[in-house]
Amino acid sequence: MKENLLEKLQKVFYGDEDLRVRQVQCGISLNVVCLDTMCDDKKVSAFVFQPLVYISDAKSVKDVQNKLSAGTVAKNPPNFYSMVEDLTNGYTLIFDESGGCVSVDTRTTVGRAVAEPPTSMVLRGPREGFVEDVKVNITLLRKRLKTANFKTINLAVGKYTNTAVSLCYLDTIADKSIVDNIAQQIENISVDGVLDSSYLARYLDSNKTVLFRRVGVTEKPDVAVAKMLEGRVAIIVDGSPMVLTLPYLFVEDMQSPGDYYENSTMTAFSRILRFISVLASVLLPALYVCLQVYNYQIIPLQFLITVMNASEAIPFSPLFEMMLVLVIFDILREANLRMPSAVGISLSLVGAIVLGDAAVKAGLLGAPAVMIGALSGIGLFTLPDNTLVLSLMRLIITFIGGTMGLLGVTLSIIAILLYLASLQNNKTPFLAPFAPNIPQDRQDAIGQKPVPQMTERPKSIPNKNNKRRG
Amino acid sequence: MDKNRIGINQLALLYLLSIAGGKFLTLPSILAKDVGHDSWLVLLFSFLWDAICLVFLLFAVRLNQEKQLDISAILDRTVTKVVSKIVMAIFFAIFIIRANILLSSCYKMFAVTFDVSTNWIVYVIPIVVISFFAVKLGFNSIARTTQLLFGIIFICVFVLVFSPISQVEFTSLLPVGEAGWGKILATSFTRSFWFSDYLFIYFVFDSIKVNKNRVFAPVIVAFVIGAVLTVLMNAMFVALYGDLAQDFDLAMTKIGVYFVSNSSNGRWDWLTLSIWLMSVIIKIIVFIYCAYKSLEKIFGFNKDKFNWYAGVFIVALLMLPMFISADVVLSTVVMWGLVPFVLVQYLLPIALPFLTKLALRKEVANG
Amino acid sequence: MDDIKRTAIVIAALAVLLLISSSFVGSNIMNRAIIIGVGVDKLEDGVRLTAEIVSPGNGSEQVGTYSKIVSANGRSVGQAIQKIAELTGKEASLGRCLLIILGQDFYENTDFADTIDYFINSDSFKESSAICCCEGSAEELMNKGPAVAQSVSLALTTLLQDQAKKVAIVTNTLLDYTLSQKNMLKTGFLNKVKFLPSQNTDSNKPDQEQGFFTINDLTVFRDNNFDCDLTPDESIGLALFNDKVLGDTFSSDASGKLLTVNVNSKKIDKKIKDGEVTITIKLFVKLARTDSADVEGVFVSQDKKEIPKETINDITEQARQLSQAVIDRQISQNFDLIKIHDLYRQKQGSNKELENKPMEEFNVNLKVEVIEK
Repeated sequence: MKENLLEKLQKVFYGDEDLRVRQVQCGISLNVVCLDTMCDDKKVSAFVFQPLVYISDAKSVKDVQNKLSAGTVAKNPPNFYSMVEDLTNGYTLIFDESGGCVSVDTRTTVGRAVAEPPTSMVLRGPREGFVEDVKVNITLLRKRLKTANFKTINLAVGKYTNTAVSLCYLDTIADKSIVDNIAQQIENISVDGVLDSSYLARYLDSNKTVLFRRVGVTEKPDVAVAKMLEGRVAIIVDGSPMVLTLPYLFVEDMQSPGDYYENSTMTAFSRILRFISVLASVLLPALYVCLQVYNYQIIPLQFLITVMNASEAIPFSPLFEMMLVLVIFDILREANLRMPSAVGISLSLVGAIVLGDAAVKAGLLGAPAVMIGALSGIGLFTLPDNTLVLSLMRLIITFIGGTMGLLGVTLSIIAILLYLASLQNNKTPFLAPFAPNIPQDRQDAIGQKPVPQMTERPKSIPNKNNKRRG
Repeated sequence: MDKNRIGINQLALLYLLSIAGGKFLTLPSILAKDVGHDSWLVLLFSFLWDAICLVFLLFAVRLNQEKQLDISAILDRTVTKVVSKIVMAIFFAIFIIRANILLSSCYKMFAVTFDVSTNWIVYVIPIVVISFFAVKLGFNSIARTTQLLFGIIFICVFVLVFSPISQVEFTSLLPVGEAGWGKILATSFTRSFWFSDYLFIYFVFDSIKVNKNRVFAPVIVAFVIGAVLTVLMNAMFVALYGDLAQDFDLAMTKIGVYFVSNSSNGRWDWLTLSIWLMSVIIKIIVFIYCAYKSLEKIFGFNKDKFNWYAGVFIVALLMLPMFISADVVLSTVVMWGLVPFVLVQYLLPIALPFLTKLALRKEVANG
Repeated sequence: MDDIKRTAIVIAALAVLLLISSSFVGSNIMNRAIIIGVGVDKLEDGVRLTAEIVSPGNGSEQVGTYSKIVSANGRSVGQAIQKIAELTGKEASLGRCLLIILGQDFYENTDFADTIDYFINSDSFKESSAICCCEGSAEELMNKGPAVAQSVSLALTTLLQDQAKKVAIVTNTLLDYTLSQKNMLKTGFLNKVKFLPSQNTDSNKPDQEQGFFTINDLTVFRDNNFDCDLTPDESIGLALFNDKVLGDTFSSDASGKLLTVNVNSKKIDKKIKDGEVTITIKLFVKLARTDSADVEGVFVSQDKKEIPKETINDITEQARQLSQAVIDRQISQNFDLIKIHDLYRQKQGSNKELENKPMEEFNVNLKVEVIEK
């Protein structure tokens, strides 16, 4: 029965020229099987072939396993599926004639070196970022959490990709029911493949929100560790430098990794700025349009005259003009993202100077509209993770404000807030600590208490131990 | 988690917003028409009745903490199911009329002050859609939204109410009680329909979460702040506008004029006014929510699913202002219904602690 | 089935969106004739309305006030405004109107209660707008823009609402004036605007008329009809009764040296005692200097006293004479600008007898105190 395993394996990998099979004699005849591209040649040589050369009296594959002491892992795969999994993960399989099998860890470590993540640069603070390798990522976490309470649950997701997923948490802090719930959710995922952690994020959102991100994402191990210390679970997905954190609060979007390495007053100031700029970005275009169309009385007289001067030659209605500005801005942003960085810079210059200035001079767009559009566009980038969602919301609110006036803007705000207020994931209200109001958690929301005074963990994230020290 | 769950602090904030939400629109001019510059006294008396009833109602809330019976269950067990359904029907009428009157005032504000030409149907539909959305999401999300907006709304109310204070000659309110104390008291009874903002509490009676038995303090504080602000605002309005007060339907837009000192500045007060209007819209949402829940309790719908028939019925009733003006409704329907309305506004809260106790006793007896 | 349902929902949502967006009708600012000031003159069979309309300049980079003056006739103000809309081809919007000017012929020979009602009862019209009357026709005054090198409405509004309070001139808003015409004796005042020509200093436009506006003359109205003009002394005296109006200036050489003092704050106290009204005017003054030390209010640090007693006494007498002049005129002309009736109303409530009680039946006792502070 067992003799067929090698043949079965060869049959499964038929047509894949990556599969290498080599016969070795060391007392008994052994077949060494590996996937060329997934294995490190040096490791195969050092952990498999070199020891095998010195073995001449092996009687079974068990003997071989005991003598292969150079590798870190040499195990017996329990069934055929584990063999396939090991092989595809870069292990080398050794079969004896009786069908026994040992798999030796010879995985290649091809991948990026740990570097500063481009999406969350900080002025001060650690510059290490996660990479695509799950093992390295766990190492980065463990380096910061030298405790036996650091626990990981390893899972595999994806029928074809078989992607390794690790749930990391601190068992003396994290609420076990939440950890179990997340593990259960991941186990229940039935999908062909997981290429990035964002695939998992969609499955982990219990409300199936279409607009707002409900799972935290970070590229920085220090941030992930800080979140784990607050009772959250970090989910590392092999092949993705983005580590997910759960439960997630909306207010986390306002927090930047650099905040914790700055003076708390400055942090509060910059968070308030972020908050105001996001609010202004989303509402300013809508207000500008609805004030022009309905409530010109609100605009100060001198500015009203300036707006009238600027709009006199514009062939479009204020709403259409503003929508045009916003869409152009979004197109520029989208193009900028896709362009190689060198071209991107010139493109944004071209966009800003040529398009903006020329459009104003040609009388297509009014200067105040371009200014408000640009201001609003830039303001959105204070929340880099949510730029797209906010940009979409801005377009919708502008349209509603332009058609229904201040009533429309008011109703849009209420509708969005009602929706956001109803969201709840893993026993955590999305808008905590503001709705519901949790005074204790406001120590690190918009304002921030100095770190020595933050003696308690956030209440909104369920945890076992509320005191930060003890 | 129960999607209708509401914390006592959230309840207090919502109550405060609903006190300030509806009474700054047409009520001041109506009262000015009735009793002239003594209208603030009418408010004072009405709030006094409200305070007494509120204390009883909160007492009932405290009694109900353990078992968390809902209002219709209490009424079913104590005053028979038929009476319970009649009470719910009265509630339904109150909430629909109140929603209609508030919607009319808002409509006037948008159409006249804000110069937006639109028709009633397309004005009401977005608000109703959002209200039904709130019904679907549960009272909890209304409470949380209130919590989020409370700060900014309250800042705006404060700015609007206190900006004209330096210009007000409060001596214009003298002599106190010129209209006659009897007339003032009678007006506070005939205009009682505008008060008792605590009515929504009946519909979350079984979902109130109380911390350490702290029922009274937050709600009473909210009530006092709301009452003081409303009385002050009303007093300032009649002091500023004197004999003209009765001609100005939308008091808040008039008070706001003093927010901007220099004429060449824009009317920034309208922005604060729009933010304050959120509290009116939240109040309308709460009314529609309660109207829907009254229907749910009368007809016993499935609580987890939105009943479209009830929805369509409510929408149809909210179209009534196209045929009958709010003034006519106030002078006819509200006057006819004054006694039954007073029954649920003032008598029911006073009786509620006893009814709750009785219902709880029966609950225990039934096991 | 799900697909059909989803498509139906999307189509329904789009339909509702279209319905809503087509049913809210606003008016773009470019389609509005935004009126910032109106002047009303009398015609044989109606009124001539002159409106100052915000008009965009040429080119998008210009900033400043650009307005044009449009006049139209109508039976009423409302009709004339409609005419203006016809003339300009835009919707006439009075939501930003800052000023109402009543022409001399109009206010002297017409009962203009309807005109005032038209403005005050419009919801979007600001009742805190400035209102005044003028010498000659309002149209002529509204066209003085080039002469004062700025928008007439803006210039006059700044004068009436901001500057007047600092130079001891009493002014009224539309609301104050309207209320005065409804209360006791139905009397109130408006500032009478005059244009004072000055020498032309612009060599580029030698024919261009130049000048200033003055607003210190007051005209009294009874039930929206012209009653009388106040003398300059009476106008200054009336300002002494208003504690929000400061900047009253007095000069005296009683101490042997010509000294000028400024009123920095006031306290007016009105009391009824034994059937007699006692009005106490306390003027807190400072020696006038070119320095701008015009601190207001009572919370002021004490400074060294510089004004001689003789000067204080003389100024007290000047102020007493000025304010007494107002009281005397009130009695002779039977109007109530210092709200004596209101004082009684606050005490005993309003009644017909009090409403019609002539000024001469009130016993007014005036006290003036001048204090250096």
